[in-house]
Amino acid sequence: MIWNEHIECMDREQIEKLQSQRLCEMVERVYYNVPFYRKKMQVLGLEIGDIKGIEDLHKLPFTTKDDLRENYPFGMFAVPMSQVVRVHASSGTTGLPTVVGYTRNDLSNWSEIVARALYGAGVSKEDRIQNSYGYGLFTGGLGLHGGAEKVGATILPLSGGNTRKQIQSLVDFEPTAISCTPSYLLYLAETLKEEELLDKIKLRVAILGAEPWTENMRKEIEKQLNIKAIDIYGLSEIMGPGVSFECINQCGSHIAEDHFIPEIIDPKTLKPLPRGSEGELVFTTITKEALPLFRYRTKDLSSLIYETCECGRTSVRMTKITGRTDDMLIIRGVNVFPSQIESALLEIGETQPHYMIYVDRVNNLDTLEVWVEVDEKFFSDEIKQLEALTRKITKQIVNIIGISVKVKLVEPKTILRSEGKAKRVVDRRHI
Amino acid sequence: MLSQLSVFIENKKGNLVRVTQILKENDVDIRAIAVFDTPEFGILRLIVIDPQKGKEVLNEKGYSVRLGEVIGIELTDELGSLNTVLELLSDNDITINYIYSFVLRKEGLPVMVMNVNDMRSAKETLEKNGISLYK
Ligand SMILES: [Zn+2]
Repeated sequence: MIWNEHIECMDREQIEKLQSQRLCEMVERVYYNVPFYRKKMQVLGLEIGDIKGIEDLHKLPFTTKDDLRENYPFGMFAVPMSQVVRVHASSGTTGLPTVVGYTRNDLSNWSEIVARALYGAGVSKEDRIQNSYGYGLFTGGLGLHGGAEKVGATILPLSGGNTRKQIQSLVDFEPTAISCTPSYLLYLAETLKEEELLDKIKLRVAILGAEPWTENMRKEIEKQLNIKAIDIYGLSEIMGPGVSFECINQCGSHIAEDHFIPEIIDPKTLKPLPRGSEGELVFTTITKEALPLFRYRTKDLSSLIYETCECGRTSVRMTKITGRTDDMLIIRGVNVFPSQIESALLEIGETQPHYMIYVDRVNNLDTLEVWVEVDEKFFSDEIKQLEALTRKITKQIVNIIGISVKVKLVEPKTILRSEGKAKRVVDRRHI
Repeated sequence: MLSQLSVFIENKKGNLVRVTQILKENDVDIRAIAVFDTPEFGILRLIVIDPQKGKEVLNEKGYSVRLGEVIGIELTDELGSLNTVLELLSDNDITINYIYSFVLRKEGLPVMVMNVNDMRSAKETLEKNGISLYK
């Protein structure tokens, strides 16, 4: 099912023309209304007329989460507060939350893109959807809510938590769809199984997001609940859930290109990368009124697929996020992200692994060692199985980062735990 | 069948003692101990009096522990009694994953501990042939 065939199946030339036109309008709006960007453009010697279309996108300055924090709370809004009808915020692991605002048009566009996502997942007015994302400052709950209302589905606004009520609603109200985080759905599935209620529910599809998850988790969810598990991607800075979504073919997430222009850049050189390369995902919001952003660096690693999807949509697809660009290491000339190693471990263990990365230089050659704690669920009583596990982890990491690695199994709780953001890398190269 | 604790340890000096120390401090009596190792890590296998408690106290200290089943065979003091057991298993297509032995303190008899690919049929085969199992 396609919600907005005109836009979602538009040919490349037309969509780029639309993006160019909207980008130019945005640059003008931003220049006159956001002092932060006006200053940045002036420093770069950029004038409104220098941006003639998407081919000039690379001339615009980048935006980071820190920029939003430095202008906390409303400093980057492009409209007076009287036009802002809603505010959301995301709490960071460190420092101030990131505050975002929406005009009435922004909210309408947001509902539109979530409606596309729901149709993509096969959810329509014939469905009942249990929305188990938290309602509040977090964009998940109200974001999904707006889209579900737009397609006319029957919403069960459960919000997050209170597993008892969630289960009761699944059994008594018989929703056919659910939206929540993948880890919470796995938890609900386990509870349903324990209470032998799995055959009492009518779920057909789940729209999952707001946290990274793996193909293994997808398989597990689909198997346990006998449903389709569909990814929805978004970040509050850009809009919230719905920035991109998977269709039922589950082969990359379709980006709402009429609202957001994606780019893939090299996080080190900040240069745009050729089509198909993996790098940092960057978005420019071309229709946002309250909080328009130039080239927002998501820090998410992905790549873009421009081929038309089997579902018929021509919109560009982003591949599943493989990691974060924070703490990038350069080993033997190759960019390596700790998060890539984490995602490799996640694929094997399905839960948060404890690991440490040691980088050293021996005889002028960089070495990479990954220490992984042997959790009880990995632990086998047989040496050969532990050796097989070591090989499996090694292979998985090599597949993702492309350079050799030595994996070492260590006793649990021997890797230092730290408050807040864990330290994952020890670089002994002193360079 | 006999319960066995398997503990993951790194092959570092003092790691073995640390495990036995924890068990001792918690009054978990060790009957048998065997280490199987590679250059980097090893599996410590233990037969203790209270395996459940042994697992709990080691878990508390952060060790990964598996509580598994093994077969304990009381060998008689006759020539070839071990050979008889191994032949019986082999004739019934049962393969041994690992094997170690310990001596009962009071009786002074050797007990063979083994883990095989098919525990149930190994147990049946041995009992049918009058081999007494240690519990
Ligand atoms: Zn598609």
